[in-house]
Amino acid sequence: MIFLTYIPLGLLTILLWILVRRGAYKAVPCFFAYIAFAVTADAARFVVHTHSDAYYRTYWITEAAYDVLGILVMYEVLRMVLGTLTRAWWARLIFPAVLISSLGISLARANLVPSRLGGILLYIVIGEIAVRFVQVFVFAGLVTLAPIIGVRWRQYPFGIATGFGLYATVALLTTTKFSDFGTRFKILWGVTSLVAYSVAVLIWIWFFSVPQKVETPKFESSAPSPGELKQYKDALRRMR
Amino acid sequence: MFASILIWLMVAWGALACVYMLYCAWSRFPKRDVNADDVIPFLYPVDISLAESLLDPAAEFECRWKLGPPQFREVQRKRMRLFLELTRRMAHNSKVLVEYADAEKNREDPRRAIAASNLQEKAIEVRLYALLTGVKLRFWLLLRAEILNAMPALAHLRTAGQIDGLQTYTALKVAAAAAFVELPPDELDSLTRNL
Repeated sequence: MIFLTYIPLGLLTILLWILVRRGAYKAVPCFFAYIAFAVTADAARFVVHTHSDAYYRTYWITEAAYDVLGILVMYEVLRMVLGTLTRAWWARLIFPAVLISSLGISLARANLVPSRLGGILLYIVIGEIAVRFVQVFVFAGLVTLAPIIGVRWRQYPFGIATGFGLYATVALLTTTKFSDFGTRFKILWGVTSLVAYSVAVLIWIWFFSVPQKVETPKFESSAPSPGELKQYKDALRRMR
Repeated sequence: MFASILIWLMVAWGALACVYMLYCAWSRFPKRDVNADDVIPFLYPVDISLAESLLDPAAEFECRWKLGPPQFREVQRKRMRLFLELTRRMAHNSKVLVEYADAEKNREDPRRAIAASNLQEKAIEVRLYALLTGVKLRFWLLLRAEILNAMPALAHLRTAGQIDGLQTYTALKVAAAAAFVELPPDELDSLTRNL
């Protein structure tokens, strides 16, 4: 059973290799950092899994770091998508609004379902659930927006959002049901989360296995030929 | 209780999004790669001068001045339906151009890729504008806003979500001319006429 827990580690290592090969650290640096951290964190957990005290500390420290990196990745996704959509001032307010709403729902949930944890661990869990809400917000928002706006799905930010969105939806569902059923649900909760995370990593592998053209900066392009310029001017004249 | 409903709503929204993505994956992301031949015949002409006149506050004021309230309401509803049709066409044309730009962005030639990227950016802005304006217009038409308030002014629809609709559509036409610059002159001509 313990080895099954580390299936995502194997998949994450493959993903990290693909990201390095594709040079994705230039296009999506926060996501690259997230995956690199995930590989390191999972490896560290694996190394210390026989020492309960060390495992406990490693687990909670890495969970806190996952929270921060998860938010950064979602910010990166939203910035990449909205950057091409609009330069309007209200677009900059979307992420803070999503973050505050998610934190609010997570705090309300903590109030609704009292936790056995206390102190900093409770804040880490509240933060983790807030990050899951942010991930669902961003993913479901993009899925709703994409057909309306007419943007193509096969792009890195959408792939990242899809993986996180799927995992976060399952995680929220199982966490909510876990609070209803109590500890009887523990094994199913663990297996479901494991499968959902593995599927999320497979989705990322699928999206990143196809190269995406990184846009060339404008100054590197050569000037259009005189013929092209004349044609362009003619077209503009006909429009007036 | 409220928090619980919110959590379940979020989970349901996420689950629906997952189902939609599964459908997309099942249908192999059906958007095909389009070329210039798939663009020009699919465009609907948008009369920008007509849109300008519909959004002109002076023209609206003149109508209000000349006509009695019932006649003005009737005329204003017609003007709204006409502008709705124009925004529908703008949105349709932008969608066709977004699909074209998507295919063009993967070209080796950096100039074509940049032109396509610029075209896509403008097309998405136009679609956003058309979406926001369309929602507003449908809301006005459906709820017969004049019953609740004075007849809504079309001139207020020039900008939506900080996007100036007509200015952005003109920029889209310019971006399209730049993206299709390699077309033969007659085809470029029909593109500019159809936009």
